[in-house]
Amino acid sequence: MFTNVEAFYRPGSVPEALRSLQKTKGHARVLAGGTDLALAADRSVRFLIDITHAGLTYIRRRNQSIIIGATTTMGELEESPILEALAGGLLCRAAASCGSIEIRNVATLGGNMANGSPAADLATPLLVLDASVVLVDLRKKRQLPLFDFLRGTDLPACLLTEVVIPAPPSGKRCGWSFQKFGRTAVDISVVNVAAGLELDARKRVKWMRIAVAAAAPVPFRAVAAEELAAGRALDRTLLAEIGDEVVRELRPITDQRASAEYRRKLAHVLTGRALEECAAHAGHTL
Amino acid sequence: MKTMKLQLKVNGQPQQWTIAPGDVLLDVLRREGYFGVKRGCETGECGACTVLLNGKPVNTCLLFAAQAEGCEVLTIEGLAQGEKLAPLQEAFLDHGAVQCGFCTGGMILSAKALLDRQPNPSEEEVREALAGHFCRCTGYRKPVDAVLSAARKKNAVEDLPEEVA
Repeated sequence: MFTNVEAFYRPGSVPEALRSLQKTKGHARVLAGGTDLALAADRSVRFLIDITHAGLTYIRRRNQSIIIGATTTMGELEESPILEALAGGLLCRAAASCGSIEIRNVATLGGNMANGSPAADLATPLLVLDASVVLVDLRKKRQLPLFDFLRGTDLPACLLTEVVIPAPPSGKRCGWSFQKFGRTAVDISVVNVAAGLELDARKRVKWMRIAVAAAAPVPFRAVAAEELAAGRALDRTLLAEIGDEVVRELRPITDQRASAEYRRKLAHVLTGRALEECAAHAGHTL
Repeated sequence: MKTMKLQLKVNGQPQQWTIAPGDVLLDVLRREGYFGVKRGCETGECGACTVLLNGKPVNTCLLFAAQAEGCEVLTIEGLAQGEKLAPLQEAFLDHGAVQCGFCTGGMILSAKALLDRQPNPSEEEVREALAGHFCRCTGYRKPVDAVLSAARKKNAVEDLPEEVA
């Protein structure tokens, strides 16, 4: 148990949650499911603010974008028809890989992003989809690319309320893939890779996204590898070059799950598998 | 220490308990005598502490008790009707799916949530539903068989004409 906790707040709205945050002056943790927080080694927290009643559980279309509320659970993401129709169900598959059913019934999208784990399973598909996060404080609301949010070291005290996904490329020449490798079906990723691909009529790379997690301090997009591929015909040679470039961008650690060297090799293999799957969806066999 | 009230239903019975705001649900349930909720890994990996929260399986070691405010909790103690075991419990006994018994309560609750949602699951779906449960005795084959057999039995009974069933 957390013996230092003095109060547990259940704000019924975002403004109320923000007031609780302000009142507790940096001594609170926001609870958006809490499956990570419950395991936190730091037990000094004095206040818990449970935002799951603050009206942030939803998956909606807004203009061309899809908006997902921060307290939407992994289970709800998995089963969403809106998300099943987005990018070949990429987010549904990533959410379905995020631990056991028991975890997925509680863990949320906002928690997965705000907790800042290097292995966050939803980070890579969201990076591939060019997602942004909406951050609010008592004065203003702003939207920040997820890419910047994940790297952010000096973010203001604020609440992550939504994730915004702009319309991705679509059509027959597009493909998507999520490749996760864990020790067991329900374990945290040893490495995971998500990718998105659009080919032109001559099977050259028109658009590509590759994101990698659990192989650097934060999940990241392998931008140099994407740029290297732009405009080129997708074949096995290019695939190997992309894999090498992705590996150059990694900064893996050795821990109880895998060595840094193993993670480098794994990231290379998973990138290849991800792009092969993308290509297959786009009607192109390598 | 600061305290707060927690109101919830456990196995159909309304309860009001005094808890600490940092209490974990697993500790509170065991403190109140629900020993079918097992203390296993306490890191959300083994599934022994599983209960159904509003019908969905959750790990009580990863939930603050205060998160269950206003919720309906079902523990393994709430499944049998008096001396009469629930069909899933019978199936686990019939198939030798209970050995030491430590994982059994959680497994049966996860299986119940599956069958409530999907009365006719594939073996794959049963394995997925039980993926969050460690069992060090049975090798998993028997629990999977037990769940599939409970589903078949239930469906067989429901398929009979009403006067026979």
